[in-house]
Order: sequence, then C-alpha cells, then structure tokens
Amino acid sequence: MRGRRVRRLRSPGLASWVLCVGLIASSPLLGQVDLGTDEQRATGKVVYDKYCSQCHGDTGAGDGYAAPYLRPKPRDFTSGKYKIRSTPNGMLPTDDDIRRVIEVGIPYTAMPGFPELSPAEVTGLVYYLKTFSSDFEDPEAYLPALTTPPAPPFSADNVENAKRVYEEIGCARCHGTSGRGDGSSAPTLVDDWGDPIRAADLSRPWTFRGGASREDIYRSISTGLNGTPMAGFEEGLSPEERWQIVDFIQSLAGDSMSDPGYASLVTARAVEGGIDLERGAELFEGAEPALLPVLGQIVQPGRSFHPGVVAVEIQAVYDREDVAFRVSWHDIQANRNGTNGPDLVVEEMSAEAGSEDEGSFWGDEEAAEDEGGFWGDEAEDESDDAGGDFWGDDAAGEDDGGGFWDDTEESADGGSDGDLAEFSDAIALQFPRSLPAGIRQPYFLNGDSQNPVELWFVDLGYPEAPEVWEGRGSQALVPSDEDAPFVAASYEDGRWSVLFKRSRRNGQGIAFDEGTFVPLALSVWDGFNDERGSKRGVTAWYPVYVPPMESPSPFPKMAKTAAIVLLVELLIIAWVRRRHRPSAAEEAPA
Amino acid sequence: MNWMIVLPVLLVLAGLRFVKPSMLGWAAAWWIAVWIIMDFGFAVPVPKSVVKEFLGIVTLALAAYVSSDPQRWAEVRDPMVAFLTERRHLPLLGLVAVAIPAAVAASIYLEMTAPAQAPTFGRTVHPAPPATLTVHDVTHDMQTLDNPLRSLETSDPEAFAAHLEEGRRIYYENCFYCHGDLMQGAGMFAHALNPIPTNFQDSGTIAMLQESFLFWRVAKGGPGLPEEGGPWMSAMPAWEQFLSEEEMWEVILFLYEFTEQRPRALHAASGGEGH
Repeated sequence: MRGRRVRRLRSPGLASWVLCVGLIASSPLLGQVDLGTDEQRATGKVVYDKYCSQCHGDTGAGDGYAAPYLRPKPRDFTSGKYKIRSTPNGMLPTDDDIRRVIEVGIPYTAMPGFPELSPAEVTGLVYYLKTFSSDFEDPEAYLPALTTPPAPPFSADNVENAKRVYEEIGCARCHGTSGRGDGSSAPTLVDDWGDPIRAADLSRPWTFRGGASREDIYRSISTGLNGTPMAGFEEGLSPEERWQIVDFIQSLAGDSMSDPGYASLVTARAVEGGIDLERGAELFEGAEPALLPVLGQIVQPGRSFHPGVVAVEIQAVYDREDVAFRVSWHDIQANRNGTNGPDLVVEEMSAEAGSEDEGSFWGDEEAAEDEGGFWGDEAEDESDDAGGDFWGDDAAGEDDGGGFWDDTEESADGGSDGDLAEFSDAIALQFPRSLPAGIRQPYFLNGDSQNPVELWFVDLGYPEAPEVWEGRGSQALVPSDEDAPFVAASYEDGRWSVLFKRSRRNGQGIAFDEGTFVPLALSVWDGFNDERGSKRGVTAWYPVYVPPMESPSPFPKMAKTAAIVLLVELLIIAWVRRRHRPSAAEEAPA
Repeated sequence: MNWMIVLPVLLVLAGLRFVKPSMLGWAAAWWIAVWIIMDFGFAVPVPKSVVKEFLGIVTLALAAYVSSDPQRWAEVRDPMVAFLTERRHLPLLGLVAVAIPAAVAASIYLEMTAPAQAPTFGRTVHPAPPATLTVHDVTHDMQTLDNPLRSLETSDPEAFAAHLEEGRRIYYENCFYCHGDLMQGAGMFAHALNPIPTNFQDSGTIAMLQESFLFWRVAKGGPGLPEEGGPWMSAMPAWEQFLSEEEMWEVILFLYEFTEQRPRALHAASGGEGH
C-alpha cells in the first residue's frame, strides 16, 4: 500500500506537473502543510465517529458497516485519493475541496451533505480525515488549485464544434455518442481499487458526482476524478474548448441541469388511427413523458443497493380498444444474451460474504498495484504529450481492466454463483390485479397476500415472448396464462425503448377505464449489473390517468352557471331595493 | 410556514386595530387575510378543498359575529344597502353584477381544462396501534410491551453499549438507504419514495412515541398499517421477515441514541396525555 502511494507521488510525472501548473497558477501556499491542531483533530474525530465511520470505517479505510453494499464504495481515506477536487489530476485536494464535499455531499451516491455541522466541526473533520493518509504530510504532494473562471453563458453555437472535440479526444469512448454513459469502453471501466465504475451519463447532469453547475462541470473536466478513469483535461483542452464541452453537455441535458423534473403522474393521451406498435416512438408523440426515479429493491433477499438504472421515462396512449405504454431508460449496453425472470432466486449478500470479496480483492494486491501504477503513469503521459497520444495508452488500460472486470463479476454476488451466468436486461410493468376500491394499494414489491398485482414482464433477450405474472408477495409469484401484451423493443445509442400494447379490458386483468387513475410501478433489470429476480431497480406506485375520450366542452356549463349567478344577483338587488326604497325606509320600523 | 407572506398579513391585521375600519371593512379584511394565509402562507401547499372548507367556516363565523349584535349588524348592512340602492353607485353596481358571473364562469373554465393532478392521500401521522402484536409467533400486549434492552442502560451500561453498536450496524446495513445518515428521512433512495421516509430528527416523531409503537412499525411495516391509518403506499418493509426481535429492539435503541431523543414513557399513555 504505502509503497504504491510513494511511487505515485514521486513519479517523474510530478516534476512536469509542478512545472506547468506553477506557470499557470503560482501560489505562495505551494508546499505548505497544514494539519490543524490536536484539539481540532479531536473535534473531527468525534464528528467522524458519529457520522462517517459507519461507511468509511473506524480507520478511514472505507470499510464501515455499509461499505459492502455501496457502489461507488465509500472513499478509502488512507489512499489520499479524493475524487472531487480543484487541484490537478492525481494531486491531493485542498481543505476547501474536502469541506465542500462534506457540506454538499455527492449526488446519487450514499454520501449525503452535512449542512448541520458547524464550521468548526467541519474544519476539525477535514484535519482528522487528513490524518488517515501520510500523503498530507508531504509538502511536495500539494499543488495549488486550478482556477475556474466565471462561466460564460450557454451558447448553442458552440455545440457543433464541441461535439467534434468530444469525439476527437475520445470522450465518446466511455460516455457514449449521446453522452448516455454507453461508450464502447464503458463496460470495461474499473476504479483504482479494481471495482467496476460507470462513466457518467452526461445527459443527466444532476447525477454528476462533482455537481451540476456549469462551473462544477468545467472543474471536473479540468481536474478529472482521482481514483477513476476520468482524466483531467486542463492541458489537453483550452479553456474555450472546455466551456464548449460544458455547452455540449448542457445541450444534452435539456431543460434543467440540476433538476431531473421527476413526475408524480402519468397522463395517457387519446390517439386516433389505431394503436399499432409498428409506428414506434411516433405513436407516442404528444403524450407527456413522465420521468420516474428508480430505487434499488433493498427489502427482499438478493437486495440491489446500486441498481444500474437511475430513472425510467414512461408515456401512455389509448384509444377505444387498446392502451399502450412506451418505457425508455438509459443503459450502459444492451444485454440480449442470457435469460432473466422476475422469480429467479438470488442469494442474499451477507456482510461477511461482502467483506470476503473485499479480502480476495485486496489479496490480489499485485493487480491493484498495477492498476494504481497505470493511472500514475497515465498522468505522466498526459503532461508530457499534452494529451496527444493519451488515448492510445488508455486502450492498454482497457485490456487491463477487462481482466479485472471478470474477477469482479465472479465475486459480485458473494461468490454464490461463480459460474458467470449471463443475465439479459428485462422490464416489468406492475399494476394492481383490480383497481383498488379504497385507498389501500398492494405492497409495491410484487403485491401482498390480500392485494395481488400483475406483472407485464419482458425478458429483452426474448422480446417476442412477453409474459404475464401474478404476484401476491415476493415469495408468491406465479406465471399467469392470460394473454400477454404485445411488445416491441429496441436499443439505440444507449437507450432502451420498450413498447407494450394490450386491450383496455382483458379478462381478469386490470382495466383501463376512462376517468380512472390506475396505479403503476415498474421493475427494471440491468443484465450488465447481474440483476435478476429480486435484485433489480424498482419504482414506487405512480397513478396513470386515463382521461375521458371526449372531454365535455366547458362552455355550456360556464354559460348556465353564470346565468344562474346573475339571476340570483338581480333578485337580491331587486329585493333589497324594494325593502329599502328611500320613502319606505323612513316608514319602516327599525 | 411561508413567513414572507404570513408576517405582512399579520402586520396588516395588527394595523387594523389602529385604523379602526368599518365593521364591513374589518370582516372583509379578516376573510381575505385568512384566505391568503391558507392559500399561500404554508410551505407545503394546503389542498384547495381544505382551503374552501375552512373559508366556508370563516364566512359563517364572521356572519354570526356581525349579526349577533344589532349595532354591528347595522354597520355591516347599511353600506351594503346603500351600494345596492343609491343611484350614484349604479355604474359600479352594474360592473360588479357582471364581474361576479364572469369570474365564476372563468373558474369553471380553468377547473374543467386543468391538467389532471395525481390524487392525494392524507397521511395519518401516528396511526392507532393494535391491542396485541404477534411477532415471530409471540403475542405481546401493546399496553405493557416495552424495550427489554432499555433497563440495561442503568443496570449494565457495557451490555447496553454493545446492543447500541449492534443497532448501529443494523441501521447502516438496512435503514439508512431511505431514512438517511442523519435520520432525517433523506437517504439515497428517499427521492424515489412517496410518502417520504419518516424523519426521526423531527421532535414530532419518535420522541412522541413509546418504543412499543416503533417495534410495531418496524416489525409490520407498510403492509401492516391498519385500514384507517395511512399512508397505504408506504414502502416500509415488514422487518420481522428479516430481523430477529432483539435486532429490532437494538435498532430502536440506536434511533433514540443517535437523535438524542427519549422515548415517551410507558406510564404516560395510561396516565393521560397532558404533559
């Protein structure tokens, strides 16, 4: 361990780093070591033991109680590698960098922000974290932060050029042509610890670990993410080019960079001309897309703590006869080989099995060192060649990573199935068996004994053979012999699009009557992530509203009501005037 | 509370005391103030139906107040009668007579063409627990059920600390994904749940409850909620399927320890609510 760290820090790359960064941003702080006072570190330890050690471990090694279940894994502070930094790639973070992550957290990971901590507590915690790695004692390991200039406004004109740069320097190889994290190398990526890691989905900036603002993205592009394959492009790209890439990412994100705009309702749209799945996405034009967040199925054995799918988008259309749904989601790759099923048994990953995994990984110290060495060398290459030859080297890294990935696959399930079974992607729409009469709904995971659900299940390895299942709880799932819905599935550019069509009324199944809200929940299996059976991503219940085909015109009712109100008004006025005629008023008794 | 709206309204109401408006003006000011606070004053919007109902009650209350005294009634009645009868008000009266039906028609139009809203369900904060609770084939009387580990706090602090640490492990292996590191109901999956996970830091949650109530909720989860006690969409699992009784009591100990709250004492329930 220690040998590796020292090697990285003393690698010849460092000299050139110091040289070039010193030219850009020379600072009197260079080389100044600040480890705080005993008192501050003691304050930090109290905070750490209460809030941090359950994931990051008592000794900062990233091995707390929750660690076996989390991916990305909790940071191993003994490594001195911090992902989100303002300093050049491979360097230590500044105190403010660590402070920022403590205060705002890391989106879409288990790392929350801790805004409640006082400034003194955060400062103490920063100093305490630094005690876990001796790197922080080395004055040579510090380099000043790169500056992020204020963001220029978004310019659509930049997108074209940025897309060219994006392809040229190889971003698309991991992040994919449309930025959906589905590049050809994406499935091979591992971090410095040999754990599989995913390239960010650039079309969903709210999931960015380093933050979703234009400045955050610029910083992440410039500094890279230590410990991951994401390199820094402070040298490879001019500031203008980096801002252009930011514009490109913003163009992928659509309306909002920081807000996913999750829906609370799916509204079906009435369509003309028959529902024919051949029409594809065009059939669903005009149907409001509802983006629904996915959580891991973390209840039933075989729990899924890091589902491969973050969100699904759903649209619904209907006519007099049929109802149809379009479900789409971003997926790192289409897994059509292998099989899947809602009832496949997954053994529960016990904490012990998880740590054994860890053990075998770390036992493979040789490989871990290679990996570390590789990225260390990489930084060197980059600074020497100014980003020129850089991706050539990366290809070598992929080969390296490939071997690694296989290991990981094997151990990912606590060694319970080392046969490297392949699982295909799959999707299921879940509805209650009948519309709930009251407000009680079936339990969202496959229903419960009193409130059964039906699943419209498609194994995307066999999209021509969709199935209907009936669930009365996760232990009581049975195939139903009802007519299955029609299904059409396609995968393009990092996105699955699966269309379902069924009669609005179908035997015992749920009916889609006009004017009703039909509860819908989804399950999605990412075969690449070994998901099957209870190991899957799920959504909570969401209502699907089926509006009446002919919505009545509001005008007759408006006219009628206005006339009645006017009549009542006139009657009141007439009555009051009659009673309070000036002459009569004088005579009337009080 | 949305204080940027509520405070100015309260200030205006306080100011009315000095301005001394007519009784009609006073009643109108109160009615409008209540409407603004109900409709815009809350951080979490109040459902329209509740606002309507509440304003109906306020209307009746104001009517009862102004009509209960002849002088007050005259103060309210006279300006209205003058408006309806005197010739000089005629143009304005005509305008109002047209404006009211027009406003009603407009609201009908908006209502009938509004995009559909997801149906909302109320949330019973603390549904009534059953009289008896059967967990792992053992039936407990909820009146007398208490955390069997709680007494160790004084009798054997070392054993108590060990149970607490177990509770901590269980929480971070099972619960924190939804209820969060800080127990505020903001775990990494919380954004995907509705209703949102309970915030244990809120003084209105576990501090108001006995440990037996938590034991019931942990053991039976969302599926075990009574018919009259929502939320019925709760994703809370029935943990009795996965945890032993002792583990559930341990995690309950940890909830109170971490949030620095105390459970409501057992005698408080039988001894009355008042404290």
